[in-house]
Amino acid sequence: MAILVLNPLQVTNFFMPAIRNFAGLPVIMQIAICFIIISVALIVYIQFRLFIIRYKGHRLEQKKAKLVPFIDGLITEHILMRTDIDSSSDVNSIIIDTAAFNTPQLSGKESRQILIDRIISYKKGFSGTIALLLRKLYQDLEFDKVSYKKMNAFKWSKKIKGIRELVDMDAPISDVIVLPLTNSKHRELRAEARNAYIKLSKNEPFKFFDISTEPLLMWEQIELFKTITTTKDISIPNFARWITYSNNKSIISFCLKLIVHYKQTDAAPAIVKLLDNKDHTLRAEAINTLGKIKYLPAEDQLIHLYTNQPLTCQLEILKAIGRMETGRNIQFLKQEFLYSTDFDVRKNAAKSIIMSDAQDLIDELFQSSTPENKLILKHAMNPLIKY
Amino acid sequence: MQSIWHYIKSFYEGGIFIYGMTMLLMYALLAILSYIAIMQYKRKSVYTDYAQLTSSSLAPGISIIAPAFNEGVTIIQNVRSLLTLNYALYEVIIINDGSTDDTLEKLITEFEMQQVDFAYNEKIVTKPVRRIFKSGNPAYDKLVVIDKVNGKSKADASNAGINAAAFDYFLCTDVDCIIEKDTLIKMIQPFLGEEDKKVRQVGEPCPECGYVHIIEENRRVIATGATLRIANSSDIEEGVIVRMRPPKTLIPRFQEMEYIRSYVLGKMGWSLINCVPNVSGGLGLFDKEIAIKAGGYDPLSFGEDMDLVTRMCAYMKDNKQKYAVRYIPTTQCWTEGPPNLKIFGRQRTRWGRGLIQIMTMHRRMIFNPHYGKMGMIVMPYNLFFEFLAPFIEAVGIIYYIFIVATGRINGHNALLLLLFVYLYSVMITSIAILWDQFVHRNYKTWIEVFGLSLMAFLEPIIYHPLIVFFALRGYYFFITGRKHVWGNMQRKGFGAKPA
Repeated sequence: MAILVLNPLQVTNFFMPAIRNFAGLPVIMQIAICFIIISVALIVYIQFRLFIIRYKGHRLEQKKAKLVPFIDGLITEHILMRTDIDSSSDVNSIIIDTAAFNTPQLSGKESRQILIDRIISYKKGFSGTIALLLRKLYQDLEFDKVSYKKMNAFKWSKKIKGIRELVDMDAPISDVIVLPLTNSKHRELRAEARNAYIKLSKNEPFKFFDISTEPLLMWEQIELFKTITTTKDISIPNFARWITYSNNKSIISFCLKLIVHYKQTDAAPAIVKLLDNKDHTLRAEAINTLGKIKYLPAEDQLIHLYTNQPLTCQLEILKAIGRMETGRNIQFLKQEFLYSTDFDVRKNAAKSIIMSDAQDLIDELFQSSTPENKLILKHAMNPLIKY
Repeated sequence: MQSIWHYIKSFYEGGIFIYGMTMLLMYALLAILSYIAIMQYKRKSVYTDYAQLTSSSLAPGISIIAPAFNEGVTIIQNVRSLLTLNYALYEVIIINDGSTDDTLEKLITEFEMQQVDFAYNEKIVTKPVRRIFKSGNPAYDKLVVIDKVNGKSKADASNAGINAAAFDYFLCTDVDCIIEKDTLIKMIQPFLGEEDKKVRQVGEPCPECGYVHIIEENRRVIATGATLRIANSSDIEEGVIVRMRPPKTLIPRFQEMEYIRSYVLGKMGWSLINCVPNVSGGLGLFDKEIAIKAGGYDPLSFGEDMDLVTRMCAYMKDNKQKYAVRYIPTTQCWTEGPPNLKIFGRQRTRWGRGLIQIMTMHRRMIFNPHYGKMGMIVMPYNLFFEFLAPFIEAVGIIYYIFIVATGRINGHNALLLLLFVYLYSVMITSIAILWDQFVHRNYKTWIEVFGLSLMAFLEPIIYHPLIVFFALRGYYFFITGRKHVWGNMQRKGFGAKPA
């Protein structure tokens, strides 16, 4: 294959006439020359940036590979392997040799951040005195001040980093600072502040539910749910309070999920009131909750509501009756199974009939059903099929 | 006569210049938009602990739908990989589309499948479903196998999977793709976290119900896609990529570069302004309700993935509902790219056929303001810069040869113009590779990245003409109504040892 080799003189000879006579060239050619220059400059710059990105990443990895074992050694020696502490020790009276952590190796900003991350990582893995000692180390090294500084930074991403570090190290943050952030217009910051507030507020971790006007998106609900259900020593209130008084639909929806998780059956009367709500998605969620907490007094009201509901609510009513397992409304289920034209209605009615364990009715339905309904019944009865 | 020729020449050259410049500026715009989208995604995702959220009981269920036709060589390993994704609630539906090899038998034996009486609701009409299987082993309780009559298309098999899906969202993929373990949680995020998915509360609490009345302003995310990559030379163990490498052979290597440009630069840019034209058939998460209402995949379409997204968008607009189609920049799916020119040509010819079919089927949407961005941006872009581009390039080459042959060309200026287009193309591809490195430092060494970016210099000379040729061949086959035979890509299978 012939290789085209251009020497610099040829390149210069090719471009020089065009550059010398630039003003006299047609507009098209002027544009082309400008773009050629821009393209060449950018291609060179991109290759340089690619190299820098890779180099920086590689350097950080190497630094981590060198520092992490060193830090691990220090933490093991000064925190984990201490023989002078036990579970009854007063952590505040223990002196940690912080000088060992202030070596030249750990002096740069990058190195300090690696140290902070490592302390946090250890803190997550320990509880009791060791965890408290790690917190003390974090405070003695004045990393809490670094984190506070981040929290007060202008950039939201820095704020989040600061909040997260403080929360992970159980460092106190004033309610006055975090609470306004729980209603921030910036979504990520709002979500982080809400998570932090749940973890840090000792008295009223759910206070922000009262002031939230911004919606709690489903993704945020998942994150918050995880935080609430995995945080230790959190005081769980009766969520019926927000079901009754909150004007924020997403807060009500989230409270319904928490009611199911914490099996707060005493919240049921407040949920029943939601059955009159004009928003059918909220109504469907309320019906779902009533079924999951098996609130039997609502069963007849659900049957009464059934005819006038949209399909989503009807399906939730059928499921709720099945979950309640009273068997009182088996005739209603039978009627829906036999006469509904909607496939999903028949399927959910069949599942609820099976859950009610009405063997005589099941046998009767097998005799009298259409082939499709028989198949639905078999589907509902098969333990291998979950859904 | 001379003046008429001069008039035509000036008109053609001027028109082509405007067309070319618009296309180049579109790419520049996409580069800027994709940069913003990637940075937004990165900033958000860095504070999200996906690993923790995968076990959340609040995350909605997802049905994974993977059609299989004569995949006996790799089916077991691939299904095992799908069954070990990190997500709380999902099912895996494998549709054996009338395979003539031992695909079904292998599935039955390996996963202890038993035929069940499954209430299959045919919401979308497909070729008959023969049997449905569930595993008797609780370890595989997520698995559903559908055995159906061959529908001569992936679309028909996918539709059968949608009919059997238990959950509100379905992920369509190819059974031979390798999916990253955190794919489901990452891809469901845009559905659950759409900023505009909010209700605006108006006025005082209602005296009747006690709640502040609301105006629904939901923008419903109807589909999400993620970056696909070519895994031909990567190291794979137990269905997991353990060492990522750019493909070593030429055709897959070009495809890797093309995929980076298409997904990381193109789709991410479009995603920012909610103008995503297509969610790849290799990996796409869809809202089942809307997909069914839009009629599901069209078994007669050659570009069934793009066709479905187009119809879903049209359905939303027809019903005056706000919608969004989103992309995430992280690589979530690995596929085996066509290893040689013959198979590559077949694939691209089919894509070309698919594109012309979609442009003719959905022509009423082009420049139709009723369809909003879909009608005024996505479809016109596809028409001018995807569909017509091969024609215009082919005509351009012929014209070029003609003016060279007749001596009506200024050689110096012509070379400068060629250089301009060539370098611009190299620059855009280089930007895409840089953006990809911003998302994640893919590949182990800088040399591998540099080596891949060098392909950008060869692409306009070697790869691009091939794409143009196969696209035109696809158009020709469509216009002449040549029968298309569906078949396997003749995959080698991941991790297969060379003979």
